[in-house]
Amino acid sequence: MLANVFMKTNRDRTLGMLLGSVSIGLMLLFAMAVYRDIDVSLYDSLPPVFLELFGVPEGADVASLAFGAIYSFMGALTLAGLAISMGSASIAGEERNGTIGILLGNPVSRSRVLAAKAASVVLLLFIGGLVMWAAGLWTPEVLGIEIADMRVGAMVFHMTVSALFYGFLALMVGAWTGNPQTASGVSVTIMMVGYLGTSILPFIEQLDGWERVFPWYYFNGSNPTLNGIDWEHMAILGGAALAFLAFGFVGVNRRDLRSKGTKRTLIDRLRDNPRTAAVAEKIAGSARVSGLAMKTVSDHQGMLIITGAIMFYVSILMGPLYALVPDETWAAFSSFPDVLVAMIGGTDMSTVEGFFQAEIFAITMPIAGAVLMISMGSRAIAGEERDHTMGLLLSSPMDRSKIVVTKAWVMVAFGFAFGLVTFLGTWLGVLMGGIDMGIGVIAATSLLGSLLILGFGGFALLLSAATGETSISSWATTAWVAVAYFAFAFLGVNPDTEAWVQLSPYHYFLGGDPLVEGMQWGDALVLAATFVVPVLLAIPAFRRRDLKG
Amino acid sequence: MTDPAILTEGLTKHYGDVEALNELDLEVETGEVFGFLGPNGAGKTTMIRTILDLIRPTRGSAKVVGLDSHADAVEIRRHIGYLPSDLTMYPRLTGRDTIKYFANLRGGVDWSYVEELAERLQADLSPKVGDYSSGNRQKVGLIQAFMNKPKLIVMDEPSSGLDPLVQREFQRMMREVASEGRTIFLSSHTLSEVQAVADRVGVIREGYLVEVSSVDDLRSKAIRSVELRFEGSVETSVFEAMDGVTDVQATNHHVRMSYGGNLVDLLRAAADVGTLVDVSSQEADLEQIFLTYYEGSEA
Repeated sequence: MLANVFMKTNRDRTLGMLLGSVSIGLMLLFAMAVYRDIDVSLYDSLPPVFLELFGVPEGADVASLAFGAIYSFMGALTLAGLAISMGSASIAGEERNGTIGILLGNPVSRSRVLAAKAASVVLLLFIGGLVMWAAGLWTPEVLGIEIADMRVGAMVFHMTVSALFYGFLALMVGAWTGNPQTASGVSVTIMMVGYLGTSILPFIEQLDGWERVFPWYYFNGSNPTLNGIDWEHMAILGGAALAFLAFGFVGVNRRDLRSKGTKRTLIDRLRDNPRTAAVAEKIAGSARVSGLAMKTVSDHQGMLIITGAIMFYVSILMGPLYALVPDETWAAFSSFPDVLVAMIGGTDMSTVEGFFQAEIFAITMPIAGAVLMISMGSRAIAGEERDHTMGLLLSSPMDRSKIVVTKAWVMVAFGFAFGLVTFLGTWLGVLMGGIDMGIGVIAATSLLGSLLILGFGGFALLLSAATGETSISSWATTAWVAVAYFAFAFLGVNPDTEAWVQLSPYHYFLGGDPLVEGMQWGDALVLAATFVVPVLLAIPAFRRRDLKG
Repeated sequence: MTDPAILTEGLTKHYGDVEALNELDLEVETGEVFGFLGPNGAGKTTMIRTILDLIRPTRGSAKVVGLDSHADAVEIRRHIGYLPSDLTMYPRLTGRDTIKYFANLRGGVDWSYVEELAERLQADLSPKVGDYSSGNRQKVGLIQAFMNKPKLIVMDEPSSGLDPLVQREFQRMMREVASEGRTIFLSSHTLSEVQAVADRVGVIREGYLVEVSSVDDLRSKAIRSVELRFEGSVETSVFEAMDGVTDVQATNHHVRMSYGGNLVDLLRAAADVGTLVDVSSQEADLEQIFLTYYEGSEA
């Protein structure tokens, strides 16, 4: 292992890990504070089976539910996401940045570089886990909340090993392909599909047991907060992680390393083929460089295709899945108190609309859509500066405001395209499942969802234009997405904090119950303003400052 | 009367406590090739980015082709070509796509002229930019800077990575632009190139413009290397005491020195100290002249 590569990687990544883990710790603090003050009578009447389902031991206060909501969902996704980011950037990131050549120009082997990067992933996950573990013990202590014999350490241990699994998966894919986007895309897809699979399959009698095929099951399937560490599950995840690492060593030593150059895509081959050249040229050549708007479309169409495909897959699946779940299961959800409802996106799962809202609109659409919009918004201005292309772009007779507005229009087109995909997937799923749900309410909710994610994109665009830093724009917007969701899902359960929900854009997305009530034009206007206002502010912010890079 | 291609008045740019440009007054005439020289970090790129409105001056103003660099920034860009230093373009686009993209944004580009430029620079436009060597990438950058036949072409280190043959062709292209009454503003460290093509040069050091002169003027008043051969040994103290004389070295009957004054004065002094047999004087080239400026900045 190379100590200096190890130390440099740690230095590059520590801040991100600390920000992520401390944010999750703070969310736990806020969630517990909100739960502490709510009416516990409903909680007391909950059947023990539900408490067990949510990992709450007998004798624990209601606020213990916050562990399940924050740690086993947001915390686990955040830690795994950070691990994927580190793993995919290990070797493939050096290749993308064009630094692998100078690094390997020193007397070091590829294996030693990979080992240093892998060790850094382990150390930083340990640090992240440590922060969350400390927050998990400290928060109930400070708030005077009884968590009985809840196994906080076991939960954090499960989270950390699960994150290591996804981190080393990304590292392996990156080591074999040299492509960080492929590495993170594959890993995130496996993680999200696993999360959704383990959430839904247990409710379907015919598919009971199949959740074991998903890695996510081995993170939370044994309910570690209640039952402690499941060493068998941890051995499966840890063993798989080690196998990924071993495969990674093989992969990185077998292939040609990439320089900063580009790979030949299918469309490149079509352009070279005389029979397809004319059509391919129109699609990929002349058309995409015909102007700034088309170039922007071309730059982000890959991300739209990936996020749109995930969204379509998830939304089309929900109709048939809903039809497979016995009615009695849905009926059981009607006894859930608000605090539990908040944990599943603030929706009443006992109704078909509640199910679709929870599984498609409350979480998947905002997350996938926010990924798309944050990528577009943060790269819109700051990305061109980071890549040192803005100077050249501005040597053309084009005003800075036109650049902002053009990129914003493309975001609008992509936001609505994403909403259209969500609508089509959901509608087809509803038809396939034979579910009684009107096309109008699906369209209305999808449209509001488009406006919601556009608001996130507008926020990212504003920060991108004002700071010229893609990292500030993307991280701050990600934090805003999480805080907005958190505020919508949890602040509403406590009368003291209920009014604050109106500050969250999610309130204007789902607060009006569009899957039942249809289009809420007032909410649509508010959501549209969350996009338009930041875009208008972005214009002077960009015009006034010096260009970076 | 034609507006100057570039006119700056008191142009100043500070980054916090760092003074990147200080009270820069410069006039670049239309139809000339102007070389802009200075050591690393002297403020060359800052000056270029300021007049192109990529960054904003702390004080002062700049006019480009007679238009205000900030208020008329978009209009200015219709009349300029720009090649930044450390050129970066879109790695996934081919060279041809890249040129088309900027041609579409700029407008008024005759594609046959693009083909002609590509041929002169021996540029293959079919690979992707990300797959180019730095020299070939630079050729694409040069083509996009020249392609719309702009009134003013601003280039920051344009020869970087170009082979000598292409450099020679590139110099011819610059002279042609000037002969058509258009202007080249060239920031470069390749002093032989500046000497070959520039009509005038400006020297910037630590943010201050320390010299603007024609290349010929600079060379005529430059310190030259002089060697005097005498019939016998001579006393060198007379030379050492003269104004403009430095670095006196005597070996056998030869006296070598650097001299920055009138040659007649030197010859009179030489005749007084001994019988002068031969004189050789080597005119300084730009490199020697600017090393003097550059070394001054390090002192």
